[in-house]
Amino acid sequence: MKIALINGSPKVKNSASENILNTLKKLFTESNVISEYNFRTPKLDTKEIEEISKCNVIVFAFPLYIDEIPAHLKSCLYQMETYFKTNLNHDIKVYVLVNCGFYEGKQGLIALEMMENWCKKAEISWGQGIGIGGGGMLSGMASVPDGQGPKKNVWNALNILSKNVSNCISSENIFVSPNLPRFLYKIGGDAGWRQQIKSNGLRSKDLFIKK
Amino acid sequence: MKLLIHDLGENDFCSIFPKLDDSIRVISDDGTIHNCIGCFGCWIKTPASCVIHDKYSDMGELLSKCDTLIIISKCYYGGFSPFVKNVLDRSISYSHPYFVIRNGEMHHRRRYENHFDLQVTFYGGNITENEKQTAKKLIEANSINLDCNDCSVSFVESLAEMGGITI
Repeated sequence: MKIALINGSPKVKNSASENILNTLKKLFTESNVISEYNFRTPKLDTKEIEEISKCNVIVFAFPLYIDEIPAHLKSCLYQMETYFKTNLNHDIKVYVLVNCGFYEGKQGLIALEMMENWCKKAEISWGQGIGIGGGGMLSGMASVPDGQGPKKNVWNALNILSKNVSNCISSENIFVSPNLPRFLYKIGGDAGWRQQIKSNGLRSKDLFIKK
Repeated sequence: MKLLIHDLGENDFCSIFPKLDDSIRVISDDGTIHNCIGCFGCWIKTPASCVIHDKYSDMGELLSKCDTLIIISKCYYGGFSPFVKNVLDRSISYSHPYFVIRNGEMHHRRRYENHFDLQVTFYGGNITENEKQTAKKLIEANSINLDCNDCSVSFVESLAEMGGITI
């Protein structure tokens, strides 16, 4: 099985999407041929689309921006749709991992629906999606073993999805939140912003600046 | 102030809206917008402003001064066009990074006090029923996320139908 893993985060490094795809990769058997792509800008190389079109499966991972797909990725999807509609002579199954900074993975539902709508327009098949809450936390938890602590729920969901990918099966979407109480996630998140603004030489109260 | 974000070509826009009130601020696609790079600089490096210096770096501030946000966008898969979405992606400085619970879900705290109405028109000749359903959910979610007063969404098939839009 040829699998294309597409990281749709605009970040150059340390994105939650990268972290999630790296975890998923560990769950695939060696019989799969995996190729990896980073979509950071709105314009795709035609050669890249040609390569991806030869795969049996595409797995997208991207962050949720204002309830839906980031703008640059939507441009890329439109280019792929245009190419696929006229050049594809086999089916491709699409799996999607959308992560959001909010606690509730279900907030990714609308983005998953859009990706399913895209599949219909591009005339390819929908496989399954996972809405992952607490995405921003994942990059900062590299030292926590997979499947442990707050990462337990996302690990379980990725296990299910990896089996479906390997067998090319479509299934219901899964929505997961971090395996810790929401109020703790909120406290940790807010503290993280204070820490980050201070590391840039500003003060906590500068988070409240208005223009 | 009313803020209008659209993705129409200049000629189409002028023919549909030949006389717009001067108080309406219009955000159009002149081909120069850069995409959000996900750096959160607008929260932690230059709070309330985007770190990318182009014509769209002060979208958060513009939203803070508007009472009605009007969006006209071609419908892509049940959501906004790449340009309109780009403007919105570049607008997150309107919100504060801290979390709040709103409508039973986690969202961002507001940075500014204003609440605006959100009026969205999607256009396109081949918008499917599924896409319309997704688009309605999106605008409802955007309205909660941005803590709007009220929201509305409509669909038109052609630019000619847009002459009926009241701004």
